[in-house]
Amino acid sequence: MLRESASLADLLADARVWKLKDASASHRQSSPRPVWSTGKSALDARLPGGGWPTASLVEVLIDVNGLGEVQLFLPALVESQRCSDGDIPWLVWIAPPHEPYAPALAQQGIELARLLVVRPPSATEALWAAEQALRSGVCAAVFLWLKGTDDRWLRRLKLAAEEGGALGVLFRPERHRFESSPASLRVLMTQGEQQPRLELLKVQGGRPGLVDLGAS
Amino acid sequence: MKAGRRVVHTGAQPGGQTADLFAAPAPALAPPPPSSLPLAPQRRRSLWYAVVFAGAPDLYQLSLHAQQFTSFVSLAAPNALLLEIQGSLRLFGSFVRLRELLDARWQALGLQAQSAIAPATLAALWCARIGEDLCSDDKTALTGRLLRLPLIATAWDAGRLQTLRSMGIQHLGDLLRLPRAGLARRLGPAAVRDLDIALGRQPEPRRAFVPRERFRERLDFETEIEHVAYLERALEPLLERCARFLRRRQAGVQSLALRLRHRVRPATEVHLGFASVTSEQRRLAEVLAQRLNRLELPAAVRALALVSGPLQPLSAVSLDAFGGGGRDTAVQLIERLRARLGEQAVYGVTTQTEHRPEAASCRVQQLSLAALPAPPSPQPFQAMPRPVWLLDAPVLLSQREVHELRLGSGGGPRDPERIETGWWDGKGVARDYYRVRPARGAELWVFQERHTKSWYLHGMFA
Repeated sequence: MLRESASLADLLADARVWKLKDASASHRQSSPRPVWSTGKSALDARLPGGGWPTASLVEVLIDVNGLGEVQLFLPALVESQRCSDGDIPWLVWIAPPHEPYAPALAQQGIELARLLVVRPPSATEALWAAEQALRSGVCAAVFLWLKGTDDRWLRRLKLAAEEGGALGVLFRPERHRFESSPASLRVLMTQGEQQPRLELLKVQGGRPGLVDLGAS
Repeated sequence: MKAGRRVVHTGAQPGGQTADLFAAPAPALAPPPPSSLPLAPQRRRSLWYAVVFAGAPDLYQLSLHAQQFTSFVSLAAPNALLLEIQGSLRLFGSFVRLRELLDARWQALGLQAQSAIAPATLAALWCARIGEDLCSDDKTALTGRLLRLPLIATAWDAGRLQTLRSMGIQHLGDLLRLPRAGLARRLGPAAVRDLDIALGRQPEPRRAFVPRERFRERLDFETEIEHVAYLERALEPLLERCARFLRRRQAGVQSLALRLRHRVRPATEVHLGFASVTSEQRRLAEVLAQRLNRLELPAAVRALALVSGPLQPLSAVSLDAFGGGGRDTAVQLIERLRARLGEQAVYGVTTQTEHRPEAASCRVQQLSLAALPAPPSPQPFQAMPRPVWLLDAPVLLSQREVHELRLGSGGGPRDPERIETGWWDGKGVARDYYRVRPARGAELWVFQERHTKSWYLHGMFA
């Protein structure tokens, strides 16, 4: 028994052996990335780690503004600011469709002194600003509202997010759903019969599919 | 105008000795030290040259002129200068000669000026102001010369002069005959102090004029530069010198101005703003690069000048000994965003204590960059819910939309939040706010105007 497990360990230590499942698990253990709850238990259950991943790019595709897409991230914003040791990290909102309403955010518990709103004159400038903010390492989350872009830029955003350890969230129109995207998580939000319909288009380390928000 | 640190006490000590001490970083108008204190060896007496200009002169420029004659120039607002000239006598021979030179200088500048020399600051100033031709370093004769001076020479405020006039006092001599205690009670201790200073009984601490320092450097190109990229390269040594200049003074700047000269067209001005006072070359260069990248040169550049804003003391926080280790700070991020997107495009939001929803949120340009400790615990916020997006202006809902949202009918939303305020400033509101969820889609924040009964959409919970 002992000899057998030792030989198994030897086998696994061999560089030529590629561990399929274990590799991701041990990687996760060695550097546990924090995840932030979405505030909806039904959605948390479907996401690997149980919440929005940090240091990655999340893409949210919406057909109209105001479906509750921001609400999905507010608990994460509050948690990211509260869980920091030392200085509170910044939240950056780039090109939001409307003016962020301070009382609503304060009500949720967001530290307004650490919220930065950026209104760039063009989409390229917006992407540049998002990349800068994601990479800076002083931001916990960067939200970007965009009409359209190409996946070259998305790849840059993803790299910047991984480098800066920030949660990057890109809100895009629903028509981009069939384009390829390097985002580690793609969420589609559309108007439903009774309430908004949420579908996970792509989940790295999870299973895509519809999410029933009504259960939470 | 940057005030100097040097304070000079001049004139006689209460003990009757003549003393003059240079107190290094003392606060302004420090009381003279008690005479029992061991004073620095009495190096020299002081002698003051006062000059009063007609009109509204540029005292800053004139001080620079005056600094050719003495190291201690003090401004006497609004239109006079005081020069300590005892220290300059050996160089210029005598004070009469020095006065001639100074007066000739003002004349050469086309200024009308009256001057006087006295061993006490205010004595010289008062005589110069009234045109009394006093030119003496004799302290014993000073009181006698001042007796006939009309009171208007003191430039005291009108109320005090009126009081004295009603007492029948016209000249300083009349004033000096009055008992001192009563004088202090009637005119205030400041007036008595002025008299003591003028008579040389008490020294007057004065601030030395220190010229305002700026980094200012010009660069002329041998060939005209057409590309911004070359401009950036050319500016590198300038920025390095600027950073070194600032470091030596332990100061920083919050703005830089770059002036690009062209052959025919007017010069291009580029203003660079920093989120905090800085002297780091890396930050200066970064903001400059961002601005230059966006710049479109109207013509080739022949020469450029880099001028710093006013120097500000560098706080210990902004000293970055290790160059930040490659990681940005929030200040740098904001600076970079602002340099490229414009100051107005990067802002924060804050709440206002105001019941009208549209006035309860406002933009802030001045961001708080100081470190914030993490909030101790989530505080439950007992208030009516507010939407994440508020529309710039409420949108009037059509009949059909009202019907679709089932507003106003029996099955409509209940428990409105009534907001009725602002009747006093003409922007009164009387609204009932509801949180409604349309058949398909997300929650909306709508209100019914209570007077007109019409419905508006005001926000989205998003």
